[in-house]
Amino acid sequence: MKISANHQKPLCLKGLHIVQLGIAAVIAGMLTIPPVRAADNAIVLKGATVHIGNGEIIDHGVVVIRNGRITQVGANLTIPADAKVIELAGGSITPGLIDANAALEPTDVMMVDRRNARQVAADLFHGDHKGHENESVGCCGSSCPRQLQHASGAKCKQCGFPDTSPAMAVGVRRSAMSVEHSSEVIPHTRVIDSVNLRSPDFDRLAGGGVTTVFAAPDSAAVISSQGAILRTAGSLHDRVVRESGAVMASMGSDPARRGFSNNLPFREFVNFYNRRPTTRMGVAWVFRKAMYDTDRFDKGEIVYGADAPTEPAMKELRHVLAGKIPLRIQARMQHDILAALRLADEFGLEFTLIEATEAHRCLDELRDSKSPVVYGPVYVDAPGARAFSSEVDNARLHTLKELLRAGIPTALTAHELRDEDGLARQAMYARRFGVSLEDVTRCVTETPAKLLGIDDEVGTVASGKRADLILWNGEPFDGASKPVVVISGGKIVVDRRKG
Amino acid sequence: MKSNRDRTEIVVNRRFSIQFMTALAALLIATATFASPPAKIALKGGRIIPIVGEDIPVGTILIEHGKIKAVGKDVEIPYDAMVVDVTGKVVMPGMIDAHSARGLDIRNENLDVTPFLDVYDAIDPSKLYFEDALRDGITTIHAIVGHNCVIGGLSRAIHPIGITPDEMTQQPSVSLKLSVAPQNRSDRMAQLATFRETFRELAEYLDDLAETKYEESLEKKDEKIKVGPDEAKKLGKDLIKPEDYDDKHRNLVKLTGGQLGAFVYAGRAADIAAAESLAKQHGFFDQTTLVLGPRCYKAIEEIKATGRPVVLDSQLLYREENPITGKITETFIPKVYADAGVAFSLLPSGDTSLAERYLNYQAARCVRNGIARKTALEAITINPARAIGIGDRFGSIEVGKTANVVVMSGDPLDFSSWVDLVYINGIRAYERESDVRLKQLLGEEKPEIPEQVKGEKNEGAPVDPKAGHSKGDADKLEAPAPNEMTKDAEKKKE
Repeated sequence: MKISANHQKPLCLKGLHIVQLGIAAVIAGMLTIPPVRAADNAIVLKGATVHIGNGEIIDHGVVVIRNGRITQVGANLTIPADAKVIELAGGSITPGLIDANAALEPTDVMMVDRRNARQVAADLFHGDHKGHENESVGCCGSSCPRQLQHASGAKCKQCGFPDTSPAMAVGVRRSAMSVEHSSEVIPHTRVIDSVNLRSPDFDRLAGGGVTTVFAAPDSAAVISSQGAILRTAGSLHDRVVRESGAVMASMGSDPARRGFSNNLPFREFVNFYNRRPTTRMGVAWVFRKAMYDTDRFDKGEIVYGADAPTEPAMKELRHVLAGKIPLRIQARMQHDILAALRLADEFGLEFTLIEATEAHRCLDELRDSKSPVVYGPVYVDAPGARAFSSEVDNARLHTLKELLRAGIPTALTAHELRDEDGLARQAMYARRFGVSLEDVTRCVTETPAKLLGIDDEVGTVASGKRADLILWNGEPFDGASKPVVVISGGKIVVDRRKG
Repeated sequence: MKSNRDRTEIVVNRRFSIQFMTALAALLIATATFASPPAKIALKGGRIIPIVGEDIPVGTILIEHGKIKAVGKDVEIPYDAMVVDVTGKVVMPGMIDAHSARGLDIRNENLDVTPFLDVYDAIDPSKLYFEDALRDGITTIHAIVGHNCVIGGLSRAIHPIGITPDEMTQQPSVSLKLSVAPQNRSDRMAQLATFRETFRELAEYLDDLAETKYEESLEKKDEKIKVGPDEAKKLGKDLIKPEDYDDKHRNLVKLTGGQLGAFVYAGRAADIAAAESLAKQHGFFDQTTLVLGPRCYKAIEEIKATGRPVVLDSQLLYREENPITGKITETFIPKVYADAGVAFSLLPSGDTSLAERYLNYQAARCVRNGIARKTALEAITINPARAIGIGDRFGSIEVGKTANVVVMSGDPLDFSSWVDLVYINGIRAYERESDVRLKQLLGEEKPEIPEQVKGEKNEGAPVDPKAGHSKGDADKLEAPAPNEMTKDAEKKKE
């Protein structure tokens, strides 16, 4: 019997229990009362326009925070005597931003100097590279793996040159995959196991006003890992909101285009001779077979083929099929989105569409499928990261506007973009391209909170919710304003008031 | 019979020629559009940000023959002026890109020392960059070679309309590009040694030329040389006429003689001293503009002491990681310059960002980080104009200046504002209504090909939007954008 030969007993016996234990542990974790602190003095934010996150706005609002929670929100509130007051005339307050598909810097790949983790992140999302028009300075000379071209004097977005040594980028690239290579179907692996909660990447996210992220799995496997929901700041014990969340699958060319082959020990890039799918058909087939095999496995039937998913994978996929573990499918191009819809239909799956670059081309289908969308980033010429694949050529600027107009619940993501390019700027773009301030605020706060199922905790400025807030020195998501103070759980984690 | 191979070539050629003709047609249309602007235009009812002087909440700008004739709250509009109602909009001077190699076919030559080159020969008017520049409200581009040189070529100030570099030129021979920062070719020692070698060679050349001149002058008089070579060199110096210099040295002589500006690129703080001493030693310090890499801000004291205008790299935020603690410190670079009182110009980013490519967004970033609004706006208009040496004609809305004016849908520092109209030399060079490419990106393009095709038989020749400029409302004008016209031309060809 092939299947029992492939998979060892311990896993067989305990797999299910592990899942149950895991769920129990998560529930237990959520119920655990955080360490009792001495009653905090209240923090009062005053004088700013409060954008609740659900579309409502309070002018000259007051927000009272106590013990890490929002206790009061309103226009005319009496300010507690013990309160520490932060005045924000001319500023505004929004909920802390939530990125429903943030690609974190991987920290567990081999040979990587922590200081180059950023490069790794950039490297991960690359396909074929084309140089910038006209910029004839090869930043890394002959040693650069991609012969990067960029504006002279400017820092290379991909490898960090001249701020970083190009040699480092080379060393990084050979190992720069945060995807597990042992199979195409790896829903039993978890992003949380590779997250370094002390990575400076979290500081960058928090600096940009992002307080909660869904740590997205890599898109190089057809059915990839389970993501985690994390806070970007605060004490370690409450950084992890949910250890394992949705499983992400990828349609399109990412699993075929990127990553190493599975043929250890000769880890070469994907080609005709190894067993990665090499076409879109292949990608869809791996997905389909995984679901089909899981179904057979569930019925106690034999699963055939060397490319059958492993048993632990099928044990997770069973929950995906039953709708207990949410499914995400990353698809950029129109036909990939349609393929995702088709496959979901075939197996009766509900899913969240990720990236959806060409969503404007299949709005009706998307609306009919009732799939929510995590759209982003916004671009015409794809920036650094995912950039130079051929899947981004038909990006349009009005996609988010159209998605919202079609009534499709859509969250906005910056994915791997950080700092000034981060989520706040994506929202700024959306405003320029026709989305109202209210709608765009919802896209980065309330909607992603609902998509992730954490809207009882975060996502809006409301009494009883966790005090994750951003204080802006102007209108939010505008060119001339930025997050001045970022509060996570009632604690000031970013403070730029001094200049 | 021609062989297959020949045939293919013919086909290729024909395709090329179709493309070429299409491009040419589009360009001709473009020039037709720009040929005869109305003599008098009044932009009425907008908020005017003149940069030099106070903002005018509601005012009028009167343009006459491409120049600004009057600006103010109550400007009397002549009866024969074309009135453009810009109520609710914001009028500001055209923005100026102080340093750009993007309109050139290639940024830099392979050679290190090329003072004999002129960007005139490299400007490619058909570059999409120029279209983008208009779209982004940039009306003057200082076309200059990249940083990857020791001595680059001559630069010139151009505007993004016109079909030849001549038509585009606002100011030829603005400056010579020098780079004291080594790029990926050599180290600092070699870079500076090349400078020394170049100027030593120049001195030798001038001596030899003087000596030759002196000898020639004696030969004319049939006299024989009676003095030694050193004396001859001195005596011959005054005999050199400007036309005697060869191509290789002419611009260097102008530079050292103070007739030519110098844009000196310094990549890091350590380069500032080298740039300063180089400029002082060879007599072009007073015409020098410093083009500074992001990290130069660390030498702010030295930069301030030079008193020279400064052009900043488009990367405005500098991040430094403490190698031990891993803590990242952020420095907003223009703030350092603003605090020191150094007048700086901002550059748009050359990459594909949707934000930093706009000069007005770069200015907004400055405001966001605590720089005064006025300083930020100056950094994208009058400061670059002064740095290029054309501040007397461009960079602000003042009486007598060239009418390079941008009408925006809202405040320039608001990221949701769009460039609605651009006037260059009083010519309407851009209108958002007719920007087909933009409409495509925003999903606003009309599904079928509209009026233009239908109206084709009426005109025969393409519509000249300015022909309809009587006194009517500008908004009603059906101005075909170059792109649409290109499409039409293609249709005709087929």
